[in-house]
Amino acid sequence: MAQQHGIIVLFDVENALRTRSLEGNTYWFDNMKLFGSEGVGTERLETIVPGTHYLDGSQATEQVLNWLPAALGSIPPTVPRNYLAEQGRADDRRTLDELAGLDAAGGVNETDVRRLQGRVGKRARKQASGRGLTDSKLLDVTGRTTTSSDAYNYPAPVITDITGPAVTEKIMYPAQYGSPDMIYDGWYWAATVDTSRPGVYRYTMHVQLHELVERNDELVWESVDLTCESSLKIINDPKRNGFTGAGLGVLPMPPVPVTG
Amino acid sequence: MPPRNRQPERRSTRSARPVTITAVVDPVAALASENLDGSLYLYDTNRPAGSTGFGTPELHSRVRKGDTLLWNVIPLECETYVSLADVEIDPQIAEPEQKVYPGTDIVFWTAEVKQDLTEPVPYRLSFLLGTVTTPFTPTGRPALAGSAGDGKEA
Repeated sequence: MAQQHGIIVLFDVENALRTRSLEGNTYWFDNMKLFGSEGVGTERLETIVPGTHYLDGSQATEQVLNWLPAALGSIPPTVPRNYLAEQGRADDRRTLDELAGLDAAGGVNETDVRRLQGRVGKRARKQASGRGLTDSKLLDVTGRTTTSSDAYNYPAPVITDITGPAVTEKIMYPAQYGSPDMIYDGWYWAATVDTSRPGVYRYTMHVQLHELVERNDELVWESVDLTCESSLKIINDPKRNGFTGAGLGVLPMPPVPVTG
Repeated sequence: MPPRNRQPERRSTRSARPVTITAVVDPVAALASENLDGSLYLYDTNRPAGSTGFGTPELHSRVRKGDTLLWNVIPLECETYVSLADVEIDPQIAEPEQKVYPGTDIVFWTAEVKQDLTEPVPYRLSFLLGTVTTPFTPTGRPALAGSAGDGKEA
């Protein structure tokens, strides 16, 4: 089985929301630069998909693609997926403990109460059409509770569909996987690629961004649906091992562990 | 689906959000080639203000006195350790401080811009990758540059 392709899309969410367009506001990456992907790190990525056959001439298997969206200027995707929810809860627990502590210590200082009020933070509702969101406390981009609706952390963009020539021409078969539990799992998109028809095929990614707006004295996540484009380049080269340049067999491991 | 083109009211004042500078790192390629050249892509959230060099190690971020800067990292391979080990810049311009997202050991750096810049001030980023103990530093240098109109660079 060949390595799966990971395609990471970094969105400049703030600018995309301001211009209501993804034009110039996406940066695309994949893990196939070594094999000839072009435009890695730019808006015009062409993902290489080698592999109509293996080095021995036999028919290759299909290639699997996975897409991972991320927001520029947000808490990075390296923090656990449930971070926002857990962080909000932990903060509430600490605030309650301190509130109880105020009473026990005798004498309630107004400054302390105001400080704790700040820690309660703000919550934002999601619209019925919002996807990939949960009602939760607002955090700022450093992971702290915030009461300011100016400095909130943007939620990760959510892919809602993948369409275009690469799909209609049956070059790839994208599908959404995962669970609608947005706190612990969430959704992701993956596809299998028919590697038997070399060529360049474009596809369109449909993405939902979320903007915090104040409406009727309430904070609401408003969803904004936008699209962006990328392409796959399927070539005739055999699939090969990135470490050895040879076939997809076992890696050349030394017979005994190397000692210092 | 109803149209969603309504433009919310925009604030003309400076954003309360920091200028985030994100380093996208391909740790597998950097470890294989034993250097970061070609495996580091820098971006910031200040493109509308005139930042340049997106997707290269030589990002020039447009900043103003009083801006809060935040540096963080996105690895292209989630199973390989990548961390921003140091941000070295003239302390008269900014004094970056290492922090972690609360409750995690994931590092970011933050600093306040102390003065308006008339010309670009280069700085140095160092990264720890995998289990290698010597930090990786790209040959190309990113820089902070004055806001459009002040800076004279192309």
